[in-house]
Amino acid sequence: MRRPIESESERLYDEHAQPLFAFLLNFTRDESDTRDLLQEIFVKLARDENLLRGVRDERAFLIRLAHNAAIDFLRRRGTRDKTKENFTAEKISLFASADDPDEKFFREELSIALGELPEEQRAIAHLKLWEGLTFAQLAAALDISPNTAASRYRYALDKLRARLRPLYEEIK
Amino acid sequence: MKKQIGDRQDACPTKMENFEQKISRQPLKKIPGEWRAEILAAAIGRGSRIESRRQESRWPSTFAARLSTIFWPHPKAWAALAAIWIFIFTLNFSTRDKSQNVAEKFSPPSPEVIVELKKQRQMFAELMGSNETRTADRQKIFFSRPQSERMEILTA
Repeated sequence: MRRPIESESERLYDEHAQPLFAFLLNFTRDESDTRDLLQEIFVKLARDENLLRGVRDERAFLIRLAHNAAIDFLRRRGTRDKTKENFTAEKISLFASADDPDEKFFREELSIALGELPEEQRAIAHLKLWEGLTFAQLAAALDISPNTAASRYRYALDKLRARLRPLYEEIK
Repeated sequence: MKKQIGDRQDACPTKMENFEQKISRQPLKKIPGEWRAEILAAAIGRGSRIESRRQESRWPSTFAARLSTIFWPHPKAWAALAAIWIFIFTLNFSTRDKSQNVAEKFSPPSPEVIVELKKQRQMFAELMGSNETRTADRQKIFFSRPQSERMEILTA
């Protein structure tokens, strides 16, 4: 017979691990660091059964946990490893591999362009584009105002467009 | 600045929409399948360890709660019973102490006293049955000596 803690952890993992993985990978740019952070989050959830009690939007709450974990991680890593971060940003891809060479190149460039964004803009862009969160949800998840979320998103999108326009024009 | 951004978006809404759509359609990398078992094992393992530790720490409080449910219906009766037991224990301990004191007070008699007591007992025995004692003594004397000596006594 399975204990409640097991089934609850499994449910949370199955429902939220994939988006949290993608979000964390966008920050860490390293799979093993992403795995550590993801494990840290699920250990925290299993350790404190009351953590999700009274939470209305589980996904938003978990994104907030992941965002905090990612920020802490980046602070820990610090500027000492800045070179390493840039190197891995070029190497690791956030996206599934594509058969079409143009698509593949676009994804690689998009991955690099996202890595060049400031952390706060990167988080907003990721959650808006791939999680489909509204500005209100983004604001709640990241503890900022909806206006701040909207402006950060626009800045991020501008930078991405400027960076990827030649490619985009080419393959569209 | 915000207004400028808004203006730019308004100026080319279709382009903006297309660009956003193009980006958001890019499929994100999938989480490695083997992570599930590893992460859940780590999470559940640590979680259950902490849970069991919590249960252990909760044990005294649950024990107290169970006791209170037992005692709650008739608290006066339980209090009276407890008082009786306390009285019995007190009485028991106080009497045990006294007996120990008495035993400690009586020290073993000295050898002189023992000799005196023996003498008294012997005298008492002689007074009570003098004939038996004399005969016994005589026999003792008679038989304890060698045969040659016994003959000497008889001739004398």
